[in-house]
Amino acid sequence: MIFDRPTAYELLDSVSIFLEEKIKNELPKHLGFNVQIAINVINIVKREIREGNEINESSKKIILEMLNDQETTEALAEAIKEGQIDLENKDLQKALLEITKMKLSVDNPNYSSYKNLVD
Amino acid sequence: MEELKRSISELLLSEKIEGKISEITPLTGGASAETYKFKVTNKKKVSLMVLRKGSGATSPLAISKKDEAIIQNEVFQQGAPVAEIIAISKENSLLKDAYIMKLVEGESIARKVLRDKRFSEARKNLAFECGQALAKIHSVSLDAFSKVPRNDPKELLDNLYLTYKQFKQPLPVFEYTFRWLREQEFIEIEPSLVHGDFRLGNIIVNEKGLAAVIDWELVNIGNPIQDLGWMCVNSWRFGNDEKVVGGFGDLKDLIKGYSSISDLHINESEIKKWQVFGSLRWGVICLIQTFSHLNGPSNSVERAAIGRRVSETEIDMINLMYLGGK
Repeated sequence: MIFDRPTAYELLDSVSIFLEEKIKNELPKHLGFNVQIAINVINIVKREIREGNEINESSKKIILEMLNDQETTEALAEAIKEGQIDLENKDLQKALLEITKMKLSVDNPNYSSYKNLVD
Repeated sequence: MEELKRSISELLLSEKIEGKISEITPLTGGASAETYKFKVTNKKKVSLMVLRKGSGATSPLAISKKDEAIIQNEVFQQGAPVAEIIAISKENSLLKDAYIMKLVEGESIARKVLRDKRFSEARKNLAFECGQALAKIHSVSLDAFSKVPRNDPKELLDNLYLTYKQFKQPLPVFEYTFRWLREQEFIEIEPSLVHGDFRLGNIIVNEKGLAAVIDWELVNIGNPIQDLGWMCVNSWRFGNDEKVVGGFGDLKDLIKGYSSISDLHINESEIKKWQVFGSLRWGVICLIQTFSHLNGPSNSVERAAIGRRVSETEIDMINLMYLGGK
């Protein structure tokens, strides 16, 4: 790693705290709403920086086990579309669930349906 | 603002309404509309009105604003709670595609309706009232609506699939859900007017209850259960997921309200299929908005962010299809 600290994660963290503590409540309502969205976006990127590689690797492994010779979401989508796997197939159902849970752990770990499944 | 004021005056004059226009204030209007509240003062009285006009960014699923107004007018005649239409733009109007309606006082912001104390009484009966309003909307005669898109479940799915495909972002859970829905047998029901986006955010609630149904841009003609399923989609429960209807009510109350007006037999498992369809449809709408940001001329952090809400719809579909979720 040639980059100095702060790390990418730490840099984004400082921006999101700045927006949250110093900016959000100083603006008119509709802009404050957009700042909240900006904070949410930064938090997604922070989680992706931290967990993204590992999630991508786990997801490839899950898909490879399903399809034997391919590991991309495109290939999995195609296999489902073409009817190569039965919808009742428990491994398929589990694979989709696991991948979706991992996506949500980055996109929005506060989402109610996700929280109910991991708690 | 001066230009907008002139356009509003012109539109009102076309219905012989005179007066001074003041206090033009933008409201949140949905993805493909701009909405403004304003005051009209003349010798007789002061009135509060709302202008709704096309924003230029049209969604592939949305109808024109003029058609929205014509439909609202019909629904108003049917006794459903909607704002009264005052004027509709003509071919040569300054505002090409717009209409003016009476302002209905109340709250449309979902989180406020769900949490503010002043709506605690209104919330108790809201699911029942939503059922009643939907039944009234569904009972409108279709003769006046030759321009409204008309689809059976299979065509709806095919159209949704084509829209999803154009973004070239293959999603395994979407493919699974499209197949799952194609394997379902939807009970055939006489097509009716369907609001298409009936949920918290698109209804105005006051202390007494449901005051008006707004935002008619996704209206279509099809299976009426579509609206009931959409109302139950988890994305509109804002975290109150034990309350299936919009985060405030129970399904049995929604059905009771519906049945107090309509003699259509409502089957809960049928609503569930349309709920799955609703989550999928919301997922595709998220894609539409995301790619209008990515490919469009202007930056929008809101539309960028919505791309990462697709996974929320995926977990909801999975939950409903094979985890026994509600």
